[in-house]
Amino acid sequence: MAVNNCKDFLKHLETWTAGEHPPEAQPHLRSCANCRGLVQDIDAIRAEARSWGGLETEPHERVWTSLRAQLEQEGLIRSTETEQLVPTAVPSHDSWLSGFFARIPRPALAGAYLSVLVALGFALSGPLTKQTNEARWLEGTQVATSPLSARLNTFEQTAVPASRDLNPAVTASLHQNLAIVDNYILLCEKSVQEEPQNEVARDYLYEAYQQKAYLLAQIGERGENIQ
Amino acid sequence: MNSGHLVHTQGTVKASWKTAGLLVPGLLLCSTISAGPIRHEQHFKVDAHPVITIHNPEGLITVKAWTKAEVMIISMPASTEVEVDAEQMGNRVDVSTRSISDSVAPGDLRADFQINVPEDAELQIHNDAGSVNVANVLGDMNVETVAAGVDLEDTSGYLTVKTVGGSFQCVRCAGRIEVSSITGSFRLIDLKSAHVWAQTSTGNILFNGAFLPNGTYSLKNYSGVIEVRFSPTDSFDMSATSLKGKVVNEAKLTPSTHEHHFLPRWGNALFGTFNQGRAKVELTSFDGTINILKRD
Repeated sequence: MAVNNCKDFLKHLETWTAGEHPPEAQPHLRSCANCRGLVQDIDAIRAEARSWGGLETEPHERVWTSLRAQLEQEGLIRSTETEQLVPTAVPSHDSWLSGFFARIPRPALAGAYLSVLVALGFALSGPLTKQTNEARWLEGTQVATSPLSARLNTFEQTAVPASRDLNPAVTASLHQNLAIVDNYILLCEKSVQEEPQNEVARDYLYEAYQQKAYLLAQIGERGENIQ
Repeated sequence: MNSGHLVHTQGTVKASWKTAGLLVPGLLLCSTISAGPIRHEQHFKVDAHPVITIHNPEGLITVKAWTKAEVMIISMPASTEVEVDAEQMGNRVDVSTRSISDSVAPGDLRADFQINVPEDAELQIHNDAGSVNVANVLGDMNVETVAAGVDLEDTSGYLTVKTVGGSFQCVRCAGRIEVSSITGSFRLIDLKSAHVWAQTSTGNILFNGAFLPNGTYSLKNYSGVIEVRFSPTDSFDMSATSLKGKVVNEAKLTPSTHEHHFLPRWGNALFGTFNQGRAKVELTSFDGTINILKRD
């Protein structure tokens, strides 16, 4: 099936992330930054989950208690009288766990374990995805503004000296406003750094650059007129 | 090309030569006047919807509408080294100020104007410093300044105003209004406009006018205060967002009946409908305060 858009690609997502890369989905992924980002996010989550697997930390006892209660509620396991008559002495983990697992049907155990892993994966993937997205937003903003900023700075260095023969009142106003806009750019950049996904801050930053461009054009135009 | 009917007068004082006893003081008076500003008066016959363009570095420009099918330009250059050119090309009259000597300092390249135009005239005014005042002109208007303030009264048509630091005031204006500035403040009083777009960086914006049905009102600044006054009979859908500042609201807004597909997730935001929500009002600030207050 041809992949013409993101919706089509999502149908291949599961197989793609499992390692199979259907040729018909590849052109869309190359051209679509959103889908590429999604795949990268999932790959990052999987990689992170794999790295945790290597640590082999034992789940907290609460997880097992909750898991047991859930399995009992669903009728997949049942409590025995012997368990209810368990002496006050707490059995060792090994003996308790081995007895516990022995009573659970294997498919149910596998399913439950997988559920726990997926839940943990999602819980921990939130901050990771957020960080990845923020970095991407920030990078996008920097890609958009860095060349603009460099050009404006170059233009400023050539346009401003030429304006010395302007009307003093006009020159003062233009320079005063240029300083205000420069400060405004710094504040907007700080906001964008703090919250890269904040579209309002980005809009203000772009507008500040527009204003600087307008001011420099005004200064340059007047400098040319004088010359 | 027509340079119009030209009347030159020097100053406004007419010397009297009736008595010989006044001869010496009169001569002294004339010598004083000849050093002062020269007043030029030019008249141009025009058809309906004439276009008047004014390009002036600095000065006071006053434009008023009258009922004659004629444009009258009274110009007062700051010195004899400054000249005002006024030419007619078809139904367009172009006015510009220029220096006729290399010795004119940039700050002396100034002229003041009093201009009368037909009501339906279209104006294009460029005045860097000083001020621009326009009254009763109903045609489209474009005004650009750097430091000059712009005051409009009882105007209409499509108004676009752009300043760098100049303030803007519009009283009883109608039509479509688009105004932008960097540090200029705006006062929009008793407007009857269905489309207002106003944006300044550090200036304040005051809107005290009617919100017309189906009208759109977008006021935006970076810092400073945005103040909107409403009456109990107004009907609008309000969206007010200040990213780092506060929003003060006296309107009893109900949850909006219109869907907002893209609600901002940032800053202090307020959405709701007042009466039937016929007009759309959008107020946005970065770290300024937004006041939505009852009209007195």
